Amino acid sequence: MKLRGLGVSPGVAVGRALVFRQRTFDVRCRVSPEGTERELARLEQARELSRQQLREIRDRIARSAGPDHAYLFEAQLLMLDDPMLVDRAAAFIREDRLNAEWAVRRAAEELTALFDEAADPYLRERRGDVADVTGRLRVNLRPRSAPTEILRGVEGPLVLVADELAPSTAAQIDWRRVIGFATDVGSWTYHTAILARSLHIPAVVGLHDASARILAGATVAIDGTTGDVFVDPSSGELEQVQAQRTRQAAAERALDEYRHLPAVTLDGVRVRLEANIELPDEVAVARAHGAEGIGLFRSEFLLVRAAGMTPIAAAEDAQYDVYRSLVERMAGGRVTVRTFDVGEDELYPGSGAADTSRGVLGLRGIRLSLAHRDFFKTQLRALLRAAGHGSLRVMFPFVTGADEIRAARAVMAEAAEELRVRGASPPPVPVGIMIEVPSAALTADLLAAEADFFSVGTNDLIQCCLAVDRTDDRVSRLYEPRHPAVLRILRLVSRSARRSGIPLALCGEMAADPGTLVLLVGLGVTELSMVPSAIPLAKQVIRGLRADDARRAAGRALRGRTVADVERAIETVRLDGVSIQEGSNS
Amino acid sequence: MTSRPVRITNPLGLHARAAARFVHAAGAFASQVCVAFGPRVMDGKSIMGLLLLAAAQGSEILISAEGPDEREAVEALCQLVVRGFDS
Repeated sequence: MKLRGLGVSPGVAVGRALVFRQRTFDVRCRVSPEGTERELARLEQARELSRQQLREIRDRIARSAGPDHAYLFEAQLLMLDDPMLVDRAAAFIREDRLNAEWAVRRAAEELTALFDEAADPYLRERRGDVADVTGRLRVNLRPRSAPTEILRGVEGPLVLVADELAPSTAAQIDWRRVIGFATDVGSWTYHTAILARSLHIPAVVGLHDASARILAGATVAIDGTTGDVFVDPSSGELEQVQAQRTRQAAAERALDEYRHLPAVTLDGVRVRLEANIELPDEVAVARAHGAEGIGLFRSEFLLVRAAGMTPIAAAEDAQYDVYRSLVERMAGGRVTVRTFDVGEDELYPGSGAADTSRGVLGLRGIRLSLAHRDFFKTQLRALLRAAGHGSLRVMFPFVTGADEIRAARAVMAEAAEELRVRGASPPPVPVGIMIEVPSAALTADLLAAEADFFSVGTNDLIQCCLAVDRTDDRVSRLYEPRHPAVLRILRLVSRSARRSGIPLALCGEMAADPGTLVLLVGLGVTELSMVPSAIPLAKQVIRGLRADDARRAAGRALRGRTVADVERAIETVRLDGVSIQEGSNS
Repeated sequence: MTSRPVRITNPLGLHARAAARFVHAAGAFASQVCVAFGPRVMDGKSIMGLLLLAAAQGSEILISAEGPDEREAVEALCQLVVRGFDS
């Protein structure tokens, strides 16, 4: 079986599946008032299942050992219906809003205490029956076996397959034994995806129902670059995955020499290559790969709530420390920080929105920041303070028009004023916007008067432009960076920026793909930001390219009617030392 | 409410099997059933409650019932105890 998700942390991992269904696992939590009905229903289902099992056991014992020996299970059946157990648990669910597992556990603890108090040794023995029944109920509350139990009996490396993986859970996992993970939910900015990248653990997310389809113990091979997940792979598929791993390693070694060479085309066009990162620690990785700056710092990591800890974003000083360390560690290299680009559920987990996937068109990005003004201002104060320590730019995500830029700038002015009242003197900071919504792209000439720079976010722009949700595998193949509409919209933005004299950068996977990279250079985009690991290859491509050829190819591509036409246009470009096909394999 | 005291005669007292029989019998009645032994009062339809009474042979328990069939319930349950829970 092969599943396709979204590769969010590169690399290949092959191991036994460890299936973890967080939603049904024995976790303790309080449920919403609406959720109590579900918990009560689950409790009743578990009771019914336990009842059937005990009846079977009782009948089997009665047949094999005689009815006299079956009475213990008759007693257990009565315990199952005893008001002191399930009814008590149900009351905990209703009154204290405990989840079913917790409620059963608490009822069992009460009973155990009562039996422990009893002086009668016979009664203390009966405690075992109570534990037996409550244990059965708990097991029946979870539909799959517990991962910890499987961990014990399983050899070799493990690949975690989970419905979802909270950062706090991820933090408890032994990542030496678990060498990769795949989750049903998630996106590129999924907190755990961010953690996976920081831990250098291959990860695939957005697999929808993988945790239900993959059985614990199955061999699973995941490719965090392509998003492929092979379940019980054939020897051929396994070879394919291993070959991919070898190819990646070889390609990385071969590109080593390019890391610290400047990105200049054969005909002298200088291209600025920067890195997209999400953790301050990645600055080292970015520099090692030859990044000139940080083109996109995704600040969402600051919102991650580790177990029992408040997120960094909650405090101005903690945020300031992070931004300051970023600019200082880049040692003069420019750092562009994007303000929080999350949905409301990520800003306030537990608000009930967590179950619905983060809507591309919902309350997010600058919209959300403007709706939570104080929260936004805290981030801006921290950024303004950090700007005193190095080259820092601030960028707003998901901007759709001039009003939003003005509103965000007004908050920024307030933040600066507050710092001045404190006696600080915040330096002027360039304020830019992400161009990732068609409305922003179409009005780029108007927005140029409001912003200090543009950064095109191709991932969202393509999604919005083509009306394709990449995490929906029924339509994800329609996500196509080489679509003529994408090229036209990019040409429009590039022209608007050039005519307005406003700096234009681009961040997104398009910059990391050699074929589209050539088109971007041809369209006049000369500031590109990408995952650090893609920078050496991009340098190799640019150093083997004539900008004139790229411009001609872009012109031909823009006359194409189909994706295939665009691809043919790309193929006409000859690179010195590397073919585009060769490049795009790695 | 109807109540009646009764002495437990069977050697093992109100142990699991006896309690199971009692709960089964009590469950046949619509009335609420209580069993008291010393300071403790337990639900007569709760096997764990009855076990926790730890009523040994010779103990006198008080069976009470309240509801539409309380007389019949107390009568039948006392008979069950007197018969040594039919075991």
